[in-house]
Amino acid sequence: MLSLKNISKYHKAGSLKTTILNNINLDVDAGEFVSIMGPSGSGKSSLLNIIGMLDEPSEGYQYFLNEPVHQLKEKQRSALYKKNIGFVFQAYHLIDELNVYENIETPLLYQDVKAAERKALVADMLDRFQIVGKKDLFPSQLSGGQQQLVGIARALIVTPKLLLADEPTGNLNSKQGDEIMELFSKLNKEGMTIIQVTHSEKNAAYGSRIINLLDGTIESSKNI
Amino acid sequence: MIKNYLKTAWRNLISKKFYSAINIIGLTIGLAVGLLILIWVKDELSYDRFNTKIDQIYKVNASIGTGASRQVWGNVSAPVAFHALKDVPGVINAVRIIQNYNYSTFRYKDKILRENGNNLAFVDDSFFKMFDFKLLKGNINKPFINDQSVIITERTAKRYFGSVDPVGKTLMADSKDPYTVSGVIADFPGNSSITGNMLFSIDRKRKEYDGKDYWKAMDEDWGNYFAQTFLQIKANESTKAIGEKLTRIHFKYQKSKSSDGVFQLQPMADIHLYNPDGSAAGIQTVKVFSIVAILILIIACINYVNLSTARAMLRSKEVSIRKIIGADRKQLFIQFIIETALCFTIALLLAFILIYISMPLYNKIAGKQMHFDLFSANVWQVVALTVIATLVASSIYPALLLSSFKPISALKGKISGAGNASFRKALVVCQFAFSIGLIIGTIIINKQLNYIHTKQLGYDKEHVFALSMHNMRDHYTAIKAQLLTHPEVLSVTASDNSIINSSSNTGDTDWDGKDPNTTLLISPFEIDKDFLPMFKVQFIAGRNFTASKSDTANFILNETAVKITGIKNPLGKRFKLHSLDGTIIGVVKDFHFASLKETIKPLIFSYRPTGDQMFIKTSGKNATAAIKLADNFWKQYNSNFPYEYTFLDDTYNAMYKTDQQTGILFDIFAGIAIFISCLGLFGLATYTAQVKVKEIGIRKVLGASVANITAMLSKDFLVLVIIAFAIASPIAWYMMSKWLMGYAYRAQLHWWIIGVAGFAAILIAFLTISFQSIKAALANPVKSLRSE
Repeated sequence: MLSLKNISKYHKAGSLKTTILNNINLDVDAGEFVSIMGPSGSGKSSLLNIIGMLDEPSEGYQYFLNEPVHQLKEKQRSALYKKNIGFVFQAYHLIDELNVYENIETPLLYQDVKAAERKALVADMLDRFQIVGKKDLFPSQLSGGQQQLVGIARALIVTPKLLLADEPTGNLNSKQGDEIMELFSKLNKEGMTIIQVTHSEKNAAYGSRIINLLDGTIESSKNI
Repeated sequence: MIKNYLKTAWRNLISKKFYSAINIIGLTIGLAVGLLILIWVKDELSYDRFNTKIDQIYKVNASIGTGASRQVWGNVSAPVAFHALKDVPGVINAVRIIQNYNYSTFRYKDKILRENGNNLAFVDDSFFKMFDFKLLKGNINKPFINDQSVIITERTAKRYFGSVDPVGKTLMADSKDPYTVSGVIADFPGNSSITGNMLFSIDRKRKEYDGKDYWKAMDEDWGNYFAQTFLQIKANESTKAIGEKLTRIHFKYQKSKSSDGVFQLQPMADIHLYNPDGSAAGIQTVKVFSIVAILILIIACINYVNLSTARAMLRSKEVSIRKIIGADRKQLFIQFIIETALCFTIALLLAFILIYISMPLYNKIAGKQMHFDLFSANVWQVVALTVIATLVASSIYPALLLSSFKPISALKGKISGAGNASFRKALVVCQFAFSIGLIIGTIIINKQLNYIHTKQLGYDKEHVFALSMHNMRDHYTAIKAQLLTHPEVLSVTASDNSIINSSSNTGDTDWDGKDPNTTLLISPFEIDKDFLPMFKVQFIAGRNFTASKSDTANFILNETAVKITGIKNPLGKRFKLHSLDGTIIGVVKDFHFASLKETIKPLIFSYRPTGDQMFIKTSGKNATAAIKLADNFWKQYNSNFPYEYTFLDDTYNAMYKTDQQTGILFDIFAGIAIFISCLGLFGLATYTAQVKVKEIGIRKVLGASVANITAMLSKDFLVLVIIAFAIASPIAWYMMSKWLMGYAYRAQLHWWIIGVAGFAAILIAFLTISFQSIKAALANPVKSLRSE
């Protein structure tokens, strides 16, 4: 599904060059559930952002669904990720002014989906995550776990091929976290490709492969 | 989609109540004031335009005199219209309007009402055809049945006759001359330069010439410049050529100096805003106010732009999420435009309400009868122009900025804010530069008005009231003697002219050594012997009139007259005024007998104790008693006239009424500009405190005091206000010096004015900012540092 070849990322501040990612090579196949681990500052999130095309690498080649991402223009890149990638964040990042229903509906609005179809899709999603009763509530009225559920529902509404999650349970207590990880696991079994960044060994274990990062390089990669 | 945008926009407004309120209040006031000013400007520019033939109508003005004493008069002599119609090809029609000062009251049955001579006029029959004043009743082809006919306005008809049909009814003028109403004309519009209550046939004026005087008939009287004359000219005719032709005709019939009575044509469209000589009159205020309106709108827009771009930083998270979940830049752009439009719609509705509420007060201050009609095309023209301009100016930049974030960095809170922070700073500087400019303008205008108010005029008008004598005139000496027996009356005198604002001029003078090619325009005053002592006019040479017989051939001049005529050692020298050859017996120190906008002109006093104006000097506490005493005589002699008197102080103030009105309006506008600017500054300060909350927390933990933090937060803004001050003050100074040039006598401009303005602006700005700064500085650092 995606392939990174010799990907490096560094910042230059004056004469000081800070390397964030150093010569990363990574292939992920469809249907995999990859967990990226590593201490703070090891480059986990940067790697995830590059995979999600929200950020550009300084060097290297990147392919996504056989498209050479490093050759694409900004516009084409964003079109590619909008259609194929769903994002889930540690801080949920719901839109505060929109209620649950509208938060989930928004991506469809941007893709010009017809009203009737939108209604059906959102209703399905609410049903699937068992949050129908919460559809008129605003993010501030929900618990963290519920907010993250909405976040995931929003990511999935456009049926992406790849789900990227940056510490999805980082702000949750262990019970809520477990529920989210169960959900990921279920989604993966239904065929969704997932890449998550996590600090927790336990959560990493839900995946099919664990990649350990240290100081911007892949230290180890093991299948479970 | 649009529905969704509107919904988000609305919720955004509601959830950020503080910013929304600041934004909407600023916009509402800006729009309301901007619109009010533009309505005023539009009203000024609309004068006389309702006349469909306005492009063809010209007023004839006359240039009199040469060099320094040259004047251009708005009235010309009666034969001008007569000959223009008869002898000048290209002139289609001519109308004369001659004020009728013959009467002061009219009676219908028991109802006696007073009429000011300014509202009574003799007009040519063509009046009703050249202008668009609607003759509601009467025959447009023969408006006046005979010379005892009168045409009255609707309002006048209602005053005298109530609901009774006035046509055919008789109005008794001053209880002696009957006039029959032959027509009713629609009231003159508020924006008409020509106004009045009653119109008389010019044939009535014609009858005043009995063929025995120097001027045999009205249409041969080249000497009296009393007719406002309008000509309707064929398109493409040269107005210059017509003016020259009229001048040539004038000199053919009247042998006079080639400098007196040179006619020139002024488009009717210009008469409201320009003086007869073409110099700027009201147009200056129109220009100033247009600029002020635009400045206020710009200030309000800047507020919006500043606040929304500042807030964009706080909204960057939302924008980033929207981008990540699939929003195009275009879609975000539309979202923000819609938010602005919503804000504007609300502000506009509120502005309309505000305008409606303030219209009566505004009309009172501005001295106009403007209407705010939501369904009038005029209003919407102004609204559309204002709103579109403001909307474009205040929506595109914030929308562009907000939609241009890089999503991932914005989400992390890393926004390249440096660039647009300096943009915001530039806008704040701009805003405050305008405000400081307006403050300086206000101070200088007020100073000048105050100067006029307290200026030593060179004479004493304290506690003097004036009245027209009418029938008392024949008994003046006796009345005066009786009045003076009362201690309440300090002095009594008479004149034919107003000492406040002399209205007449003559060029008919001669003296030894006069250059035959020049004309001296001089204001003649006919006074009795007590006039000069009562007004405490000072002599610099010679003596006052003594009421001796020989005084009828004596003259007193003012300093300026002596200087301009060039008479050396004037006492005892010959001077000729009209047909009277006399001797100069005194010279008085110059005093202001006209508006301070004009320099002191030459003046001549002659001894004629028969003027119609009686002046009575009393004291502050005896004023009521003195007025009562004069009333007794009035009742005795003038029982057909309502008692009428005016204190000279009031007359004097009335002369500067327009200036006072302008001054008050300017005060209000400047205040509003400052208020809106501060509103924006307040919002920005709040934003800064929010953004710097972490920095403030850290500094406090490290031991910074509240004063340190307040200073840190306020410093940046104060620097901006100081920069604004540096930019605004020289410009405002320059523009106000130009404005002052309009006054011949002006207040001294001191540098402290600028200092005061700058200090005021900085103080207001500091108070605005420090409220937020202190609040931020007092906050508990534990709270602000415990984020994420």
